[in-house]
Amino acid sequence: MKLQANSLYIERSGKQVLQGISFSVDQGQVYALLGGNGAGKSTTLLSFLGFLLPASGQALIDAKEVGADIGAARKNIAYLPESASLYEHLNAHENIEYFLQLAGSAATQAHIDGALDQVALAPDARLRKLRDYSKGMRQKVAIALAILRDTDILLLDEPTSGLDPNAIDEFHQLVRQLADKGKTILMVTHDVYGACQVADKIGLLHSGCLVGEFSAEDGNSIDTEVVHKAFSASAKSPSKISQTEPA
Amino acid sequence: MKQILLIAAGEWRYWLRSRLALGSAFIFLLLFFVTSVLSSWHIEAQSHSREHHQSEAEDTFLAQPDRHPHRMVHYGHYLFRTAAPLASFDPGLDMVTGQSIFLEGHRQNTVMFAESAASADFGGLSWLSPALIYQLFAPLIIILLAYGSIAREREAAVLAPLMALGVSGHQLIAGKALALLSFILLMLVPLLISSSLALNRGESLNALLLLAGFYFIYLSLWLALSLLASTVFKKRASVLLTLFGLWFGLNLVLPSLAVNAIGSESTAAGKIESDLIMMADLRKLGNGHNASDPAFTKLKADLLAEHGVDNIEELPVNFRGIVAMYSEKKLTKVLNDYANKRMMAELQQEQALVRFGWLSPALAIAAASRAIAGTDLIHYHLFQTQAEAVRFNFVQGLNRAHAEALSYQADINRNKDEDSWKKARVDASNWQVLDEYEFQTAALSERYSNAAQAMRMLLAWLILAIAILFWRGGSIKP
Ligand SMILES: Nc1ncnc2c1ncn2[C@@H]1O[C@H](COP(=O)(O)OP(=O)(O)OP(=O)(O)O)[C@@H](O)[C@H]1O
Ligand SMILES: [Mg+2]
Repeated sequence: MKLQANSLYIERSGKQVLQGISFSVDQGQVYALLGGNGAGKSTTLLSFLGFLLPASGQALIDAKEVGADIGAARKNIAYLPESASLYEHLNAHENIEYFLQLAGSAATQAHIDGALDQVALAPDARLRKLRDYSKGMRQKVAIALAILRDTDILLLDEPTSGLDPNAIDEFHQLVRQLADKGKTILMVTHDVYGACQVADKIGLLHSGCLVGEFSAEDGNSIDTEVVHKAFSASAKSPSKISQTEPA
Repeated sequence: MKQILLIAAGEWRYWLRSRLALGSAFIFLLLFFVTSVLSSWHIEAQSHSREHHQSEAEDTFLAQPDRHPHRMVHYGHYLFRTAAPLASFDPGLDMVTGQSIFLEGHRQNTVMFAESAASADFGGLSWLSPALIYQLFAPLIIILLAYGSIAREREAAVLAPLMALGVSGHQLIAGKALALLSFILLMLVPLLISSSLALNRGESLNALLLLAGFYFIYLSLWLALSLLASTVFKKRASVLLTLFGLWFGLNLVLPSLAVNAIGSESTAAGKIESDLIMMADLRKLGNGHNASDPAFTKLKADLLAEHGVDNIEELPVNFRGIVAMYSEKKLTKVLNDYANKRMMAELQQEQALVRFGWLSPALAIAAASRAIAGTDLIHYHLFQTQAEAVRFNFVQGLNRAHAEALSYQADINRNKDEDSWKKARVDASNWQVLDEYEFQTAALSERYSNAAQAMRMLLAWLILAIAILFWRGGSIKP
């Protein structure tokens, strides 16, 4: 499935938060959205879920507007929110089970354990209530849930926040594998290095404008140096860079 | 539908894990149990003393020796009201109206409290009935369970991932409502169990179900209000504050404002005034003890003509007894007119109070509940009307004995000497004028129609709350 933003304008509480951004994520691609706090990254994800409807422009999934059938759009999306939002009174298994059931998909305990193995959540923690979890442990449960949803599209909002370096590396490998299996992945991150490692494309968002886009050459990953420079430059004066593409 | 059931089950799991449901249920059961015991004990003690007084009053009346019949008219008799089978659940007005009345000639007495050992035992607690637990405290339990249902998940930021799964706002609300409805059904179990005791006292099962149905509507209303607040406000603290405020306003402030507003309309001065007017009206009827009162001249002429005799000594009946019957009848008509007016005024006052149920559902459920239980004003009036019929029959029975069993001669000469005094008596067998009396609660269909207006109010509240909830539910945002 293909994700596409078409001159997307989004207003929140009367404020223009996205100012006509356009980009697309093809099937099998990982698109990383970079940008400072308040740039509009999370807002972009929410608009693909239909929580925020465009003031003008379009958020499209397979060329169909999200707003036209929000229910259908959500069926195809696994969404990992910014803060791992799960039930504190349930353990990892119960959380995953409950959300999956609500989504209409069921998984066996073995499946769930498999996914928790993939994110390397300590087995002895799995039957403890989430209120006793660290931030990173929660994040792992949320990631496992997103994987188990087994949808065509993944919207990941800062998936590596709270994870230790090992877990971050493993997560990036996982994301790559999922994309290679044909998933469409839009990922918000502050981790420039990680984004360059895993993404096929990187979009640089500043104050609701897409001020730069970088694509990976065949077989190579995106040059961290270039993205880094563009990022710092955009923070100082965004108008100077526009559609910077690596040579 | 599957989602709704899952959410309901999820809510139950949360309640059980947080001990919220168990704690609330425990507090509720405890309150209910204590009030039920107190209330049945109270009713039991009352009915004991009532039976005791009733039989004592009958025995002493019947044990009176041969006497002048009019002395028995003034000797009088007590009548006691049997408590409605459901009175131990909802004593309603019985708490303030009393249940015994003294019947005598020429007067309609007010209903009094029978002196009973029970009334003193409860101190300030006797107002706390099981019905009041449902009317006042059950909404608090529901608020405690429901206030966080949506707001808690919004605060924990689980609303976004939940709705991203495709769960709609309506499904979310329906799921939470389902869990709460099942809790309400459980809350009604103690009501059904305790009121099932009324089945032994002759109440119908339908009455219990109807009563439970009314409370179900009332508590569902609080459920809807709580869910609504939980959807509208972002923070749980604001939800709780709003709901407590609402509870305080609707259940405590408004009812007492309503009572004050209506109470101040009719003053005690009004009652004294109308009593004086009534006394004047009664005086116009003449003195029934004095057969030569000019008020009875026509009665005398008619009677003489009827029997074709010239003076009252020749009549086959005792003219003084005839006068007593005649004047009791006239007087009773006037007394009844005034009593009807008074009852009408009381009823209007009551209806004015019930009308405040459009503003306060607590007033509406209270009215509906006591109407079904048979402890409302209408039943109080019913008792008075029935007691008056008993009084009239018993006084006229004695007056008939006066007219037919005692000769006019013996009667007028009764004060001459000791011997004449003894002759002016009738046989004690004439005292068998007491009707067998047991107060009966009105038929259920009648009680239901007495409760209909209050039920309409509750339904209107419920429908309105559900409509707003449905409307807001469509626009729930994470
Ligand atoms: N619930 C909200 N209501 C109104 N405005 C909001 C809301 N959430 C965010 N905004 C505004 O929208 C803009 C973009 O916010 P967004 O959350 O998309 O930023 P972000 O790029 O995800 O930032 P961060 O890196 O801090 O997560 C910000 O200016 C913010 O003030
Ligand atoms: Mg964000």
